[in-house]
Amino acid sequence: PALFRRYVLCEVVSEDPRCRQCIEDRALGLAVRDAIARVHGDYGLACCSISFTVKYLNAYTGTVLLRCRKDSYRLLCSALPFVRYLESRAQRYPCFLNTLHVGGTIRTCQKFLIQYNRTQLLLLLQNCTNEEERQCVQKSLLSCSLTEEQSQSGDEEEDDGTE
Amino acid sequence: ARPGGMAAAAFERRVLRRAAEHHYLRVRLELPDGGARPNAAQFKQIVVSALRELHGEVGAALPVDVLTYEEKTLSAILRVISSGLVKLWSALTLLGFYQNRRCAFRVLQTSPFLLALSGNSRELVLD
Repeated sequence: PALFRRYVLCEVVSEDPRCRQCIEDRALGLAVRDAIARVHGDYGLACCSISFTVKYLNAYTGTVLLRCRKDSYRLLCSALPFVRYLESRAQRYPCFLNTLHVGGTIRTCQKFLIQYNRTQLLLLLQNCTNEEERQCVQKSLLSCSLTEEQSQSGDEEEDDGTE
Repeated sequence: ARPGGMAAAAFERRVLRRAAEHHYLRVRLELPDGGARPNAAQFKQIVVSALRELHGEVGAALPVDVLTYEEKTLSAILRVISSGLVKLWSALTLLGFYQNRRCAFRVLQTSPFLLALSGNSRELVLD
């Protein structure tokens, strides 16, 4: 098959908590394409726009999965550090994108994300500042479990409950 | 061909591919409206802005030098790093406007050696 794609997994990091509400596919797609246009010009924008979409978003953790052609993933990855803000409803919130993983299929990115979230939960537990937070995180960690297709268990803290 | 008589000497041939660091282009800017002619600094600005339009900030940062410039004929010799030749040539080709004036770049000669630009067999006149 000649249609090769690359999936870039990144996380949106921002000091402003209101930035979370504008993590949505349209705003993020526009911000990334605008950055590519600035850094790589008309040619880069056209190259990366073939088969470009935001495949997955998680506003709670700020995880974003982007898809592009294999021929132009380097243009995309090199333009990601130039995304400095997300815009929604005429408001700009400063943020930056951290690239976590580049994979050839959604499945490899999902495997990586599950592993990454596991380590992040343990880090969160370590960095808890007071006993109440600690109890909360421990309770949700222990309540993570694999469920059948019908119901999804767990709350905000749990991201790797599906496999 | 083996050098005669010496069996110990070996023949060696070296081929260098794409060894030249820079490429040189002789270009001419056509401004058919017959207005004010750009000077050398403005000419370089045209080249860099063409690169910026097509290839973004990365293209605009490409090391391009204007080695000579003649304001009367609007022709110049540009030097660019070899890996950037495609970007520069495509940017010059696709430039359509300079300060809202129609313009076009004509690439007359190109070579990895500057000396090769001194003679042009297309303009050779045989008497």
